Amino acid sequence: MCAQPVTNTKEVKWQKVLYERQPFPDNYVDRRFLEELRKNIHARKYQYWAVVFESSVVVQQLCSVCVFVVIWWYMDEGLLAPHWLFGTGLASSLIGYVLFDLVDGGEGRKKSGRTRWADLKSALVFITFTYGFSPVLKTLTESVSTDTIYAMSVFMLLGHLIFFDYGANAAIVSSTLSLNMAIFASVCLASRLPRSLHAFIMVTFAIQIFALWPMLQKKLKACTPRCYVGVTLLFAFSALGGLLSISVVGAILFSLLLVSISCLCPYYLIRLQLFKENIHGPWDEAEIKEDLSRFLS
Amino acid sequence: MEEERSFSDICGGRLALQRRYYSPSCREFCLSCPRLSLRSLTAVTCTVWLAAYGLFTLCENSMILSAAIFITLLGLLGYLHFVKIDQETLLIIDSLGIQMTSSYASGKESTTFIEMGKVKDVVINEAIYMQKVIYYLCILLKDPVEPHGISQVVPVFQSSKPRLDCLIEVYRSCQEILAHQKTTSTSP
Amino acid sequence: MACRGDEPGKPFSAILSWVSPGSLPTHRTRTHNICMVSDFFYPNMGGVESHIYQLSQCLIERGHKVIIVTHAYGNRKGIRYLTNGLKVYYLPLKVMYNQSTATTLFHSLPLLRYIFVRERVTIIHSHSSFSAMAHDALFHAKTMGLQTVFTDHSLFGFADVSSVLTNKLLTVSLCDTNHIICVSYTSKENTVLRAALNPEIVSVIPNAVDPTDFTPDPFRRHDSIITIVVVSRLVYRKGTDLLSGIIPELCQKYPELNFVIGGEGPKRVILEEVRERYQLHDRVRLLGALEHKDVRDVLVQGHIFLNTSLTEAFCMAILEAASCGLQVVSTKVGGIPEVLPENLIILCEPSVKSLCEGLEKAIFQLKSGTLPPPENIHNVVKTFYTWRNVAERTEKVYDRVSVEAVLPMERRLNRLISHCGPITGYIFALLAVLNFLFLVFLKWMTPDSVIDVAIDATGPRGAWTYRCSHRKRRSGKYEISKTR
Repeated sequence: MCAQPVTNTKEVKWQKVLYERQPFPDNYVDRRFLEELRKNIHARKYQYWAVVFESSVVVQQLCSVCVFVVIWWYMDEGLLAPHWLFGTGLASSLIGYVLFDLVDGGEGRKKSGRTRWADLKSALVFITFTYGFSPVLKTLTESVSTDTIYAMSVFMLLGHLIFFDYGANAAIVSSTLSLNMAIFASVCLASRLPRSLHAFIMVTFAIQIFALWPMLQKKLKACTPRCYVGVTLLFAFSALGGLLSISVVGAILFSLLLVSISCLCPYYLIRLQLFKENIHGPWDEAEIKEDLSRFLS
Repeated sequence: MEEERSFSDICGGRLALQRRYYSPSCREFCLSCPRLSLRSLTAVTCTVWLAAYGLFTLCENSMILSAAIFITLLGLLGYLHFVKIDQETLLIIDSLGIQMTSSYASGKESTTFIEMGKVKDVVINEAIYMQKVIYYLCILLKDPVEPHGISQVVPVFQSSKPRLDCLIEVYRSCQEILAHQKTTSTSP
Repeated sequence: MACRGDEPGKPFSAILSWVSPGSLPTHRTRTHNICMVSDFFYPNMGGVESHIYQLSQCLIERGHKVIIVTHAYGNRKGIRYLTNGLKVYYLPLKVMYNQSTATTLFHSLPLLRYIFVRERVTIIHSHSSFSAMAHDALFHAKTMGLQTVFTDHSLFGFADVSSVLTNKLLTVSLCDTNHIICVSYTSKENTVLRAALNPEIVSVIPNAVDPTDFTPDPFRRHDSIITIVVVSRLVYRKGTDLLSGIIPELCQKYPELNFVIGGEGPKRVILEEVRERYQLHDRVRLLGALEHKDVRDVLVQGHIFLNTSLTEAFCMAILEAASCGLQVVSTKVGGIPEVLPENLIILCEPSVKSLCEGLEKAIFQLKSGTLPPPENIHNVVKTFYTWRNVAERTEKVYDRVSVEAVLPMERRLNRLISHCGPITGYIFALLAVLNFLFLVFLKWMTPDSVIDVAIDATGPRGAWTYRCSHRKRRSGKYEISKTR
C-alpha cells in the first residue's frame, strides 16, 4: 500500500480498483474523482407553449365548475327555465355524442367493444332513475341549513378540482372520488332549487358537465389539438361572460386566475428548472427496464 | 485481628470495610454505610410538609396536614425497616460455608447461608446497573445436576455497592480461603 | 477465566487460524483504545457484523485495546467476552426498526459516557449509516472531546424524499467527524457527495474475506452438468426479479444447466412460481436461508457464480465465490467493478439480456476449458484482500486521527451552522449545546473520578494478552468472570 517507495508516484497511474495495492495513501484524491458524476440526466426540457397547452386541462375544469355554478344561480333566481336548460343540454349531449365517435373515426368504440344500444340503455336508466328520485333529492336536505349546504358544495367542488385526473401520475389523483364529489355538490345545490323538476335537470346537467364533457375533451385534445384550443378558449370566454352577468369583481378575479394558471405558472415552472440539480452516478440503484412479467404469465 | 479501611461506593459515598481474621480458615468482612444523617432527614421532612402546607392553602382541608404527618412517620419507619441497610457482612468459613448478613437501620437482620459444598467460586463480575456499568462480587453456586454448570449467581454487598478496589480486597481473601479449602478437602 | 458467551461458531475457527505461529504481534510504539459502536453485531448476521468482528480481532492482535458497543439482542444483554478477550457491551436500548435503535440523541449519553470513561477510550469508531446508535455515539464522543472515525458500508441515492432526509442527517453527523472510511471508491464518491465532505478526510479501505474459510473443492461438483450458484437475500435490491427472468431463458437453451439458490426473502415466491411454470423442480434448487458456515459448502458445488444485485457498495459475495474458485458473473453496479480484475469476473448490465449473454460466455469458456482451474483462482484472489491488511490500513487512520485536535465547542458550533445549512445547522447546534449541558450535569452527578477504570481484557496491558503469554501464573491475577 503506502509502504512502497513513493519515488515513482508520478509515473504510476492511479486506478479505480481495490484489488491492487497502489502506491498512494488511502485518502488519495485523484483527478478522476467524481468523473462519473452526472447531473439532471432525466430532467425534461419544457417548451413554454407546450406547457401552456397542457395547462388548458386545468383551465377547462375551472371553467366547468364556474359554468355549473352560474347555471345554478340562474335557475335559483328563476331566470332560466328548466325546460330550456334540459333542451339545450340534450341537444349538446347529442352533438357531443356524435363528435365523440367522429373525432377518432370510431376507433375507440371498436376497441372498447361497446354498442350504441348499451349507451342508450344506460342513458335511459339513468334519466328514469334520476327523474323518479328527484322528489327525494329535493327533500333530502330540507332539514340542513342553507349555509351548511353552500359550505359543503364549495368544499366538494374544491375537492373535485383537487382530485381530478389532469393526466399527472400522482397518488392523490382519483377520478372516481373527484366525480363523486362533484355529483354530491350538485345534489346539495339542486335541493335548494324551487321544484323537483329543477333538481332533476340540475343533476342531469352536472353529469353532463362533470362526467361526459371531460371525456370528450380528452379525446379532442388527443386527436385535434387545434380544435381543442379553440374549444377551450370559447368555453373559457363563455364561462367568463356568464360570470360577468352576475358579478363584475368575480369575473375579473376569475380571469386573473385563468391567466395566471395558463401563462404565469408555466413561465415559473420553466424558470425553476434552472435550479434543478439531480445527481446521478454509479452508486444509483439500477432500474430493471425490461418487462419481467412475461416469464410468469 | 481486626483492621478497618475506608473505601467509597459507586456513587462516591463513603464506606468502611472492617476485616476480622479469626483464623486462617475463617474471615469476616463487614461493610458499613454512613448512618442516616440528620440533615437529609430534615430536608425530606421539610419538603413533604411544605408541599402539604401548599396543598392546604389551596384547598383548605386540614386532612392534608394530618395525612402528611402520617406519611412522613410511616415512610420513615418503612425506610428504616425495609430499605436502609447500615451494614453488610460476609462471613466465610472454609469448612462450613459463606454467610451473608445485612442489618437494617431499624436493627432488623436478614441472613443467608450457603454451604461450602454448593459454592463453586467467588468472582467479580460486570453488569449494567441503571445508567452505570459496575463491578460486583458474586458467589457462583454449583448446579446439582451438571458438575461444571452454574445454577445460580448470588450477588454480595448488594446495597452498599462498593467500588472495584474494595471488591478486589474481599475477592483476594475469599480466593485464599477457597484455595485453602480445596487443598484441605482433597488431601485427606 | 470463565468465558461463557456463546461465540458465533464461524469466527472461532477463523481466529484460530489468525493466531497461527508466525503471527506474533508486531511491536508498536503507539497503541489506541478503540471503541467500535454499531447497532449491528453478532448474533445478527451480515457484512457489517463480520467486518467489525474481524477488524477488532486483527487490531487486538496488533496490540490495541478494542471494545464493541451494540444494543441488546433478546436475552443477550450485559457484557460478554468473545475470542481473545474482545469485550462486547450489549446495552439495553430499545430497538425501533430493522435492528436499529431509536434515537433521541440524549438517552444513550449516560451509559455511553460511562463506558467511554471506564474503558479510557481514545477513539470512537462507528459503523454503518443505518445505525442510529453509531450516530449517537459520534455525537456524544464529539461532545466529550474524543476522536471519531466513521465507516460507511452502504450506498444511497439522491432521488427520493427519504434519502434527502437521511443524507441531511449524515451531513450533520459527519461534518465534524475526524475521519471517514469507505469500503470502495464508488462508496467514497457517494459519501463525499451525500455528506458534503472534504475528500481528503475520506479513506478507502476495502472489506476482506478470510481465504482459509473459502477454499475450492473441485471434487464436490459434477462435471457432467453445469451448476450456477446464487447466494443472496431474495429481495428486490439483490435483483431477484432479474434472476426470475434468467432461469427460464437459460434452462431452455442449455439442458445440462442447473441452478442452486441459497438465501431467503420476500421474493422467493416469484422464483418458486418460475420453477413451477417451467417444470424445473429437478434443475432449480432453492436452499432457503443459509448459515454463514454453510455458504462455502454451497459455493463449491458450482462452476459459475451469479450476482444480480442492483446496488452494492463492495459485495463480499462475489469475493467469497471467487475465493472458492468459481467464475463470477455479476451486474456492473456500485463498487463491484473495483473488486475483482477483469479476468476473474464477467460484468454485465443489469438486464436479463445482458446477464444471459454474460452467463453464456462463461458457459462457453467452461465447455471449451479455457477457464483457469479453481485452485489458481483461489491463489490469486487470496492475495487481494486480507483482514490483516485492512487492520493495518485502519490503524494508519487511527494514528492520523489521534494526533488531530478535536474541535472545541465554539468551533464545532460554527462548523455545524456554516456546514449544514441555516435551519438544520442551528437546530443541531442547539442540540449540541444541550448535549454538552447534559454532559456537565452527568459529570456533576458522577464525576469521572468515581467511575472505576475497567480491567483491560485486550491491549498492551490486557488481562487476556497477559494470560495468554503467562498461562501458568494463573493465580496471580484476579478474575473477571462472565456468567449468564
